[in-house]
Amino acid sequence: MAVNQMPKQIRDFWPQFKTGAMLRIFGLHIVLAALLSIGLIASGAFDITSIIMWLIIALSAIISSTISLAVFAYASRPAKDLLSAVIHISGEPTDSTPPNPNDARFEKNGLKTALQTLYELSSKTTESRPIDTPTSPNSPAPIASARSAVETALNAIASGFVILHHDRSIAYSNKSAPVHINADSVPVLNLLFNGTDTLDAWLDDCEQHAVHAEHIWTRIPDRLPDEEGRRLYDVLASYDKGAENETILTLVDRTATYEVSEQELDFIAFAAHELRGPITVIRGYLDVLEEELGDVLQDDQHELFRRLTVSANRLSGYINNILNTSRYDRRHLKVHLAEDTIANIYDTIRDDMALRASSQNRLLSVSFPSDLPTVAADRASVSEVLGNLIDNAIKYSNEGGAINVTASARGDFVEVAVEDHGIGMPGNVVSNLFQKFYRSHRSRETVAGTGIGLYISKGIIESHGGTISVRSEEGKGSTFTASLPIYATVADKLNSGDNSNEGLIEHGNGWIKNHSMYRS
Amino acid sequence: MAIHTILCIEDDRFIGEMYVRSLKKAGYEVDWVVDGNDGLITARNKPYDLILLDVMLPERRGTEILAALRGGAEDLIPNTKVIVLTNFEQDDESRVTMQKHADAYLIKAEITPKKLIEVIAQLDAIAAKS
Repeated sequence: MAVNQMPKQIRDFWPQFKTGAMLRIFGLHIVLAALLSIGLIASGAFDITSIIMWLIIALSAIISSTISLAVFAYASRPAKDLLSAVIHISGEPTDSTPPNPNDARFEKNGLKTALQTLYELSSKTTESRPIDTPTSPNSPAPIASARSAVETALNAIASGFVILHHDRSIAYSNKSAPVHINADSVPVLNLLFNGTDTLDAWLDDCEQHAVHAEHIWTRIPDRLPDEEGRRLYDVLASYDKGAENETILTLVDRTATYEVSEQELDFIAFAAHELRGPITVIRGYLDVLEEELGDVLQDDQHELFRRLTVSANRLSGYINNILNTSRYDRRHLKVHLAEDTIANIYDTIRDDMALRASSQNRLLSVSFPSDLPTVAADRASVSEVLGNLIDNAIKYSNEGGAINVTASARGDFVEVAVEDHGIGMPGNVVSNLFQKFYRSHRSRETVAGTGIGLYISKGIIESHGGTISVRSEEGKGSTFTASLPIYATVADKLNSGDNSNEGLIEHGNGWIKNHSMYRS
Repeated sequence: MAIHTILCIEDDRFIGEMYVRSLKKAGYEVDWVVDGNDGLITARNKPYDLILLDVMLPERRGTEILAALRGGAEDLIPNTKVIVLTNFEQDDESRVTMQKHADAYLIKAEITPKKLIEVIAQLDAIAAKS
């Protein structure tokens, strides 16, 4: 910075100084010659008219001033070179080429180190983190000056800006970038990517398959949720194979936006958890009472109990949807994948679904081929997805309507289809269906709902690596299809990862330890 | 040895009474305490076959009780099974602690008394197998 603020006349200094020095040299020699001639005449060795004496004096004056000039030129050259370097660093326009520290003469006279230090110092004063020094052998100084202007600008903006070398080390980072220097004095990015969708994984993929690629991650924090000063970024990455600055990251600080929604999500999660207390009591006592009153109740009263049970179960399902949505939106939704069959997953909700369908007069038929391959699934989450799809099928179909749940293997996936013969949807509705809070104009008027069931179902299925889709015809009904990866196709990946759930029998969102596998 | 005596540590009166009533009807001998400190003392003083442990408790959280009973060098309740019952799903760290020290972890809203009795029978069956 200090260099930049120097007066504009650095380049004017040398000509002035040189002229002054030369005048002094010539002046000194004239004085010397005058003194010498006075001395010679006074001693009587020469007559004032002696041409020889004047010749000798003139000759010696010329020789000695030439020698003086040569000595001056030699002695002042390092100063001139250093000054010339300073001129280039300062960015003043000049015709001369900047002194190159790698020149043979600087290596010989030892000025090389001084020049290099000067260039390094200049780049340090303009860079926030001295990671990269100019290394181009021919013209390091102009690069340094161009850099300083750009870097000053980059440090002034609120977005983080990071350049990575091919080896993924940080070549440059501006002040706003969340970077810390680790114990080995190496700068490291503080970004906590979610799950497997990391920068490294993306770069691995780019190195194998891409020449140019771009990617965006949203809501990436730089530290854990409870840590002070946590920031949330949207990260934009651009990759160019073989370029000197292979990967460029722009980090847009979105803390202000995301933090508010984070608090809202905390509140929603807390509220949903609170709702579970009363639900526990309602479901529990319904269960107890229906059994205790079994002999006393009339048939129609039994039906009332079933309706109570169905309603309490649906409420419980909606609470799970809300909890899962808040986890999913905060990137906290974890699916614990294990080998399972669609039939076993469905068994956990079979009674509930049968009760729901019968109490609302729908004909639910469920059939899975016995030779279906096993899938990699989180039983609790997938059963919630199936519950949502069947719940929707009931909602959007008519009394007495048939709902068919089937499954088939296709490629690397098992597809589960839930088909209804209800009101169906026009095409423009289908495309928005999986958006959060989406309710079609018509369904808003006729059918209750929050619009998060399909959104979270999509989130859960995609967290499994599967897809969810719908085919629909207005007036004829809809078929929702969710696909899950066949266990054999992902077994290798799963076995190398998290096995903490081994030996646990899943029970809804909880578990029971299977001690016969846990012998210690 | 099949489960017969049960300690229920639960501060919600409705939920506590619901479990106690159903379990007694099913033939179990049940004691019920409502706060975490009493829960820990009672659990240490009498060898129960099973403890039903809530997590959000006054005085002492269920996870602390579990750590005090089973987290030390010596398991203070070697012949007791523990079922953690909660409506607040835990973060990963407590989940790991519970997988180490508890025999089951259930969401209360997903468990009716009837299902709880089934789970107790399941624990008996697993114990008999191993």
